[in-house]
Amino acid sequence: MTQQPMVSVSALRLVRENRGQPLLVLDDVTFDVADNEFVAVVGPSGCGKTTLLSVIDGLLPRTAGTITVNGTTVERPGADRGFVFQQDALFPWRTVLSNIRFGLEARKGDRAAKNATARELAALVGLAGFEEHFPHQLSGGMRQRVNVARALAVDPQVLLMDEPFSSLDAQTREVMQEELLRIWADRNKTVLFVTHQIDEAAYLADRVIVLSARPGTVRTSIKIELPRPRTLELKRTPEFVEIVDRIWQEIELTDSGRSLTTSATTTTK
Amino acid sequence: MTNVRESQAPVQPVETQAPVGRDEPRRRWWQRLGLTTRTRRALISLAVGVALWEFVARVVVEGTLFFVPITDVALAGVDMALSGELAHHAWVSFQEFVYGLGLAIVVGVPLGVAVGVSPRVKDYVQPWISGLYSTPVIALAPLFILWLGIGLASKIAVVFIMALFPITINTTAGIKNTDQMLIDVGRAFGYSRFATFRKVLMPSALSFIVTGFRLAVGRGIVAVVVAEFFGSRAGLGYLILVSSQSFAMDRLLLAVLLLAFTGIVFIGLVERLERRLAPWREEMTV
Repeated sequence: MTQQPMVSVSALRLVRENRGQPLLVLDDVTFDVADNEFVAVVGPSGCGKTTLLSVIDGLLPRTAGTITVNGTTVERPGADRGFVFQQDALFPWRTVLSNIRFGLEARKGDRAAKNATARELAALVGLAGFEEHFPHQLSGGMRQRVNVARALAVDPQVLLMDEPFSSLDAQTREVMQEELLRIWADRNKTVLFVTHQIDEAAYLADRVIVLSARPGTVRTSIKIELPRPRTLELKRTPEFVEIVDRIWQEIELTDSGRSLTTSATTTTK
Repeated sequence: MTNVRESQAPVQPVETQAPVGRDEPRRRWWQRLGLTTRTRRALISLAVGVALWEFVARVVVEGTLFFVPITDVALAGVDMALSGELAHHAWVSFQEFVYGLGLAIVVGVPLGVAVGVSPRVKDYVQPWISGLYSTPVIALAPLFILWLGIGLASKIAVVFIMALFPITINTTAGIKNTDQMLIDVGRAFGYSRFATFRKVLMPSALSFIVTGFRLAVGRGIVAVVVAEFFGSRAGLGYLILVSSQSFAMDRLLLAVLLLAFTGIVFIGLVERLERRLAPWREEMTV
C-alpha cells in the first residue's frame, strides 16, 4: 500500500492576461507533498510562487493541469486548506479572538464551541491574554500570530503560507520561525511555505522546491537532511550554510537562464 | 490622535500613583470639573469669542442697529423661550431636519451599496450622482415648495436631496475601499458572496458611511434654513427671514446661534460614533 500524497500538483499551467497579451506564468508544474511534510517553495522574484499558492488554494483558476488535496480535486477554496496571507490581512474591526474565529463563522455549530476553539488557538500561538485586543494594538509579530491562528482554527489538513514573515524585522522573523516549527510539531499539518528567504526555507522545511524564472516550473527539489527539532543555533552550523549555498546556486542558475543542470531534478522524495 | 491621549491624561486620578507627598500639585479647576483638555480649550475659545463680540457691540460700534450685543441676543432668547415661540420654531425645523436626514440615510446607504457592489448599477446611476452632486440642488428648493406646498413635506424633500449625495457617495467609497486582501480572506475561508458582503464589505465601509452622515448633517442644516426662506410659516429659517425683514437682529442672531449649536451637537455625536466604530482609523477632519 503506497501512501497517497497529501497535495499533488500535476502538469499545472497558468496563463494570465497582461495588458491584452497572454502571459505564461506557470508551466508544467508537477510535485507532490506527503502528509505532514513541510515543503518550502523558493525561486527568483516574479516566478509565480505566490500565484502557485493561490491556485492550490483555489483562489485563482488554473488554465490546465490537476491539483488534488487528499485525493480530492481542487476547484475552489475549501476547508481542507488554510491560507496564511502575506500581509497579516486581519480585520481591523475585529478583536484577536474574533479574527481567529472568522473562518469558523462560515460553518454551522454553536458560538461557544467556536469561541473555545479560537481561545485555544490564541493560546497555542502565544497570544493568551490578548484575545480582546484589536489588531492596531498589536505588534507586527503578534499580528502574524493571529494570522497563523486564524488559518489553523478551521483545522485544515494543509497549511498554505505565502511569505508570512516577510514584513517582519529580522529578530521577530526568527522568533516566528521557531514558533512555527513548534506549532507544526504540535498540530501535525502538511505545510506548503512560499518564501524568498533561502535560509528561512532551509531552516523550516523537510524539502525545498526551487522554481525557475517565468514561466515558473519546478527546477529542482532539495531534501533538507537536518535533524529535528531544529533550533536557531542550527543556522550557524557549516552543514546549514552548505545547504543554503546549494539552494542559492540553483536559484542563480535559473535566474540567469543558463541551463547547466539540464538533468534538473536532483532528489525527489 | 495624540491630542486625545494627552487630553485623557489629566483626568486620571492621581491616587493610583505612589503618594508624592507635599509636592503633589493641586488639581486645577478644570480637572475638578472633570473637563478634558480639549473641552477646556474649546470653552476658552468660545468664551473669548463671546467677550469680543460683546466688546465690539457695546464699545466699538455702540448703538448700531445691525450689530447687537450677545447679551441682548440671550435676552431675546429668554423672552422667546418663555413665550414658547422658540420651542415652536425649533421643533418645526428639527422635524424637517430629522425626517429629511433619516430618509436620506434609508435611501442613500442602500443606493451607495448597490453602486459599490454592482458595476451595472454603477453605470446607470453614476451620471446622475455626478451631475446632481456638483450642481447646487438647493436652487431647486423653490420648485419643491411649488410641488409640495409650504408645509413639512417640501422641507423634508429639500433636506433629503441635499443629504442624499454625501451619504451615497461615501457609502460607495467605503465599499470600494475595502482591502482586496480582506475580500480574499473571506473567499479563502469559503464565504459566499452575501456572507462576504455582510462580514467584510459592510464592516469595512461602516466608518466611511458615518463620515458621510457627518457631511450630510452640515448640508441638511443649510437645506432646512434655505428651504424655509423660500416659503414657510414656522421654523428657524422662517424666524431668520422674518427677523431680518423687521430688523430684529437679536432674534435673527439667536436663530443662527441655535443652528450652529445643533450642528455642533450632531457632528459631535457622529464623531463619537466614528471613533467607536473605527478606532483604528486616523481621526479625520472635514
